Amino acid sequence: MKKLLYIAWNELLLLRKDKMAVVWMIILPLGMTTIMGLVFGGFGGGSEAVVIDLPVVDHDGGEMAAVVLDILSQTENLHVEMEYDEETARQLLADGKRAGVVLIPSGFSAAITSGQPTVLELIVTPGGQTAPLLEGMVRGVTSGFSNVQTSVEVAISEVQRATGSTNLDYEGIARRVAATALERLEDPPVRARITTVGGEEEEEFNIFDQAVPGYAVMFAMFTVLSAAGGILEEKERGTFKRLLIAPIPEWSLLGGKLLAQFLMGVGQIALMFLAGALIFRVQLGNSLLGLLLITLATCWATTSLGILLVALIRSRKQIHPITTLIILGSSAIGGSWFPLFMMPKAVQQVGRVTLVAWAMEGYNRLMILGGGLADVWVNIGVLILYGAVCFAVGLKLFRFKEA
Amino acid sequence: MALVEVNNLSKIYGDVQAVDGVSFEIQQGEIFGLLGPNGAGKTTTINVLCTYTEPTAGEVTIAGHSVTAEPEAVKRAIGVVPQDIALYPDLNGVENLRFFGRMYDVPKARLEQCIGELLELVGLAEHARKRVEHYSGGMKRRLNLAVGLLSEPRFLMLDEPTVGVDPQSRNAIFENIQALSRQGLTILYTTHYMEEAELLCDRVAIMDEGQIIALDTPQNLINTLGMGIIHIGVKDDLHEEMLARLRALPQVKAVTCRDDTLAFETKDAQRALLEIIGLFNKTDTVMTSLEILEPNLESVFIQLTGKQLRDS
Repeated sequence: MKKLLYIAWNELLLLRKDKMAVVWMIILPLGMTTIMGLVFGGFGGGSEAVVIDLPVVDHDGGEMAAVVLDILSQTENLHVEMEYDEETARQLLADGKRAGVVLIPSGFSAAITSGQPTVLELIVTPGGQTAPLLEGMVRGVTSGFSNVQTSVEVAISEVQRATGSTNLDYEGIARRVAATALERLEDPPVRARITTVGGEEEEEFNIFDQAVPGYAVMFAMFTVLSAAGGILEEKERGTFKRLLIAPIPEWSLLGGKLLAQFLMGVGQIALMFLAGALIFRVQLGNSLLGLLLITLATCWATTSLGILLVALIRSRKQIHPITTLIILGSSAIGGSWFPLFMMPKAVQQVGRVTLVAWAMEGYNRLMILGGGLADVWVNIGVLILYGAVCFAVGLKLFRFKEA
Repeated sequence: MALVEVNNLSKIYGDVQAVDGVSFEIQQGEIFGLLGPNGAGKTTTINVLCTYTEPTAGEVTIAGHSVTAEPEAVKRAIGVVPQDIALYPDLNGVENLRFFGRMYDVPKARLEQCIGELLELVGLAEHARKRVEHYSGGMKRRLNLAVGLLSEPRFLMLDEPTVGVDPQSRNAIFENIQALSRQGLTILYTTHYMEEAELLCDRVAIMDEGQIIALDTPQNLINTLGMGIIHIGVKDDLHEEMLARLRALPQVKAVTCRDDTLAFETKDAQRALLEIIGLFNKTDTVMTSLEILEPNLESVFIQLTGKQLRDS
């Protein structure tokens, strides 16, 4: 056992001496996480970093148009630009400098208050990534105004029915009802409250809650499998043979190396989570124990995959491209880069063959969906089983001595 | 008393007979040379002796322990300096020695002392804290030797320890080996440089194609060549009468014919050559090549196998 620990310690010492290890284990993962987080989300507060510039051309100039502008201006992630005329706004859209343009037609306010049909026009470029977002926002506004019109019609109808009089100040009633309805539109009395399974109100989604564990798992795989490849390097260099002819049990020799690889993986993930919490304000969820167990199970599975690959592959030259392919492939379909639930069903099913998918599902449940240990038992169990199978087969096929 | 006993050792890899019925003994305190070209079976023999490879047949005991039945006891009695530079290039000299020392259960206090002594012995004390990757080839070889000595073994095996080494480092390694021998260490030294064996070894076994083809002291082996060997290539096959006349020449001890080459074992190479050329002139025999071999182990190998040592 003592020698096993010495061997593990020596592996960690070698890692510390390797200047490139700092790049692989710290700089590259953090750099990649930052870049991907910025590309797909924001920094330290999630979606607030994405702000869409939206030119709004007001041909109406009326009271209702002002309400539209007010609502859009208060919409999070939207920056309303009033300074452009329609031609300039359309040109900006055509040049790809804006994702959409909103046109408020003349007569918009009058139509709203008189119960006449009208439109709020949104022009977007085909295939624009933010088009659905803008569409949703504008539909929200038009839906609100439709409700205002409905309220006005219902109010007048009810007043007529109650008084039996047809000599009413229709316009005055309409204005008062519309004013109240519009106030409610800006400050709705009924709000949606989204709660998670754990019963707490959903916090704003931070893209780094996905990116940090995603890249932590991916780079932990790089670290562990690269260290596993080191066994082949040692075989080629002759140090493995030198250790085999020393009075060391074979299990101690291999065990020491695997322990070091496992610890490197755990260290890599821990480092990423620490940086994630301090720099990217990642939410670690409600179960630190769950996170720890998922991490340990992931590193166990990765270490075991490493010994299987080393058993199957003869040389370090061969193992590098193969492990790179496995890591990138499983990261892509396993949810390291995008949450699994955002992927097509078929990809989700295929992704299940990778340990990354089980690990990422566990991390997503704990960090994004606010789940607890009970929600990730299956993931932990599958990862342990995955590791056990790889370890058993890898050990069976592993050749301590070369002919 | 023999520290190492090898009896009828064989090792077969698939269809290849790497070692074929090899037997020898190494006495306590002796430097025993195992010589032969690449592929002769030297490294396989060492692999069996150091417990790395299971023999196909035969018995090997070291310090009274069987390599197959008591490998752990054998491992504690031996030190091995492999042909490869089996070191961690990212670690410095001390760190390499410390790690391997721990693997051999050297007590901590003794280990630190041992590391200092060994670095002094191999002349690397000044480079102890330098990363091995920055060592020259010769320095790496010397550290490789030091690691083999960490466990203070009774029997040290050196597998081609001077391959790719500059003359200065080679001399340093020779001095180390001679000093260790004077301290009573039993050494097995494999090489395909016959001059190294002549210089260092008390006895040598010459291996070729998995077999020992000669075993004696270097001087006795050289003496078998007489006063020199002459190889003469001839254009046509010589008939038996001509061979008899050549054998009868006063300065010729023996003649063997292999393919188109005659090998003359002589009493005096120069005088024998004059006699041979005289006879060839008289009989109109055409010579195609001529080579006079110095009386050394290399010539012994050529004489025994008909092959050049380093090209074979």
